[in-house]
Amino acid sequence: MILSPSDYKRGTLQGIESLPMSSGDWMIDRRLAALERFETLGFPDRRSEAWRYTSVEGLLKQGFTAPAKSSQRDRDDGIQNHLLEIATLGRLVFIDGQFIEEHSVYPSEGVRVTSLKTAMATGDRQVLEAVGSLSGLGDDGFAALNLAGFQDGAVIRIAPDVRLDGPMELLHLSTDRVEGHKLPTRHLILLERGSQAELIERFISEDQQSSYFNHQVVEISLAEQATLSHKRIQMESRQAYHLSDLHIALQSKAAYYGVMAAIGGCWSRTFISNRFQQPDAHCELDGLYLVDDGQLTDFHLDIDHQLANCSSRENFKGILRGAGKAVFDGLIQVGKGAQKSEAHLHNANLMLSRQAEVDTKPQLTILADDVICSHGTSVGQLDDQAIFYLRSRGLDEQRARALLCQGFLAEIIEKFEHQALIELLNRRMNFVGLTEPETNHESLG
Amino acid sequence: MLAIKNLTASVDGKEILKGVDLQVEAGELHAIMGPNGSGKSTLAHILAGRDGYSVTGGEVRYLGEDLLQLEVEERARQGLFLAMQYPVELPGVNNMSFLRESMNALRRARGEPEIDTLSFMKQVKEKARQVKLDEKLLKRSVNAGFSGGEKKRNEILQMAMLEPKLAILDETDSGLDIDALRTVADGVNRLRTAERGMLVVTHYQRLLDYIQPDKVHVLADGRIVRSGGKELALELEARGYGWLLEEAAA
Repeated sequence: MILSPSDYKRGTLQGIESLPMSSGDWMIDRRLAALERFETLGFPDRRSEAWRYTSVEGLLKQGFTAPAKSSQRDRDDGIQNHLLEIATLGRLVFIDGQFIEEHSVYPSEGVRVTSLKTAMATGDRQVLEAVGSLSGLGDDGFAALNLAGFQDGAVIRIAPDVRLDGPMELLHLSTDRVEGHKLPTRHLILLERGSQAELIERFISEDQQSSYFNHQVVEISLAEQATLSHKRIQMESRQAYHLSDLHIALQSKAAYYGVMAAIGGCWSRTFISNRFQQPDAHCELDGLYLVDDGQLTDFHLDIDHQLANCSSRENFKGILRGAGKAVFDGLIQVGKGAQKSEAHLHNANLMLSRQAEVDTKPQLTILADDVICSHGTSVGQLDDQAIFYLRSRGLDEQRARALLCQGFLAEIIEKFEHQALIELLNRRMNFVGLTEPETNHESLG
Repeated sequence: MLAIKNLTASVDGKEILKGVDLQVEAGELHAIMGPNGSGKSTLAHILAGRDGYSVTGGEVRYLGEDLLQLEVEERARQGLFLAMQYPVELPGVNNMSFLRESMNALRRARGEPEIDTLSFMKQVKEKARQVKLDEKLLKRSVNAGFSGGEKKRNEILQMAMLEPKLAILDETDSGLDIDALRTVADGVNRLRTAERGMLVVTHYQRLLDYIQPDKVHVLADGRIVRSGGKELALELEARGYGWLLEEAAA
């Protein structure tokens, strides 16, 4: 069933009205304003440059609706099966878009962790002011709808000068109960002056058949000299839709280190916006994607240098197999006042099949004159000489190809640092399986 | 051990090898010399099984088998090793893990158990020291960012670890300074045994100052035009290749 924008508006309004006044009224004006914004914008189509290569038709055709109000869940969700051997300081678990208190563990000192719903219910002023302050009402209909309709999320606040010595985890698990539903969530990550934290975020699904729409907006604000390492792994069901908007704001001498992996989903888009709010800040983004038949993965970066002495580095690599499709659109803008900026952007693609397609568009616009910037892209295949070299040392061809694929992504994979994450990625990407002979798509068609 | 009979081969329809005959026995070290474009590297590549060459005639028997029927990895598993002129860089593939995986592939093929970590580490460190390869390079990606000399030392290290029955060195001396050349030569000499055959392809005589070949062959225009003892190499050094080519043409 195809829903019209007015169907979405009606559904979202119902959602807003169903919120208990204790949580809804704090935000209601902004929610309604966002809804109005959505009405003006509608859903993006290919006439919009940012959506030129990524069609939303398939997503809209699914007609995803909000899940029924907090249906009583089977409390034993087998969450233990999905935990990794990483000593985390805290964990927030979301199952089917709902925060699950009993599976969550909170760190104590120097950190305040809460669900967004709780923060709203208690009228937490800092949270209420921060929600939407970086994302705005949204540049496209999706972002506006998220602000209007989100139900829950995580709030993580690190106190000044607190340096956490272990990671915290945000785990998003989807079950087969979310079939046909959209799951709008919203996170707020605030690091105060001089603090340091690490965040591991995972999106996983109990099966590979469920079709749902995970839609998340994350606002990350790092005060002076704060450092955040953010590791993000998207392993949704192969039939799922995933849309993430990350808005990052950095103050003086703050540093954000993000590394993203997009492996699951039939349609997955990650938009990352980085704003240097003060000079002398640093941003690094690394990413990998793997697409196979019936998958589209899209990364959009918007790195905005308007102030002096900031640096950024972005490196995204992808492997495409079968009739997989990937989009990379990375934009670095260096404004007039951004002297002594350093910015480097690169995207590399390894094509394992003829049917695969990548649309890659690294862009750099520079208005300042004293900067060091570079951008580039590459699209290639496995190197026959390298395969020969490995085989001449006794490795069979399949193993040689697998090793080269793994090697291609190695510099990104190692940024995930924790052995458990690295193994998870290597296992899930199944490099040996990647090199198995492909099905003949023409004969299937 | 290796018997090449009247081997002819072409690349993109151009005939490169025009009837090569060569016999290498266990325990022997043969040098193949010749001017650029004579077909030396083509011969080495065909023996290792590289794509892009069509063998149009003749045969190659290795340990009694038809070598040309074997896949590249099967040749390696049966003890054939090619030290490459241009070792390939493999970003993201760890040098030490690769070496271990390679050793184990060969051991499995021989029905031997995989090497344990401790023995492997001991061996690789010892042999890296012998070929003067910085231990740090063992932890890096295979050949990635290595200097020319480091790449060649890494090839010799692989050869020493894999202990081939037949080792073919394709212009391993090219681009090396005198110290590196000596290290490479030492590596080759250390591996000379009564069971191992070696085929050293080189353009210059200078490598043969450090490696004493049992036989020297001159490959010119796709044929072996002259074979002799190590004194042939000295003669070539003194007189160049011109006189041989003229003789061959006459």
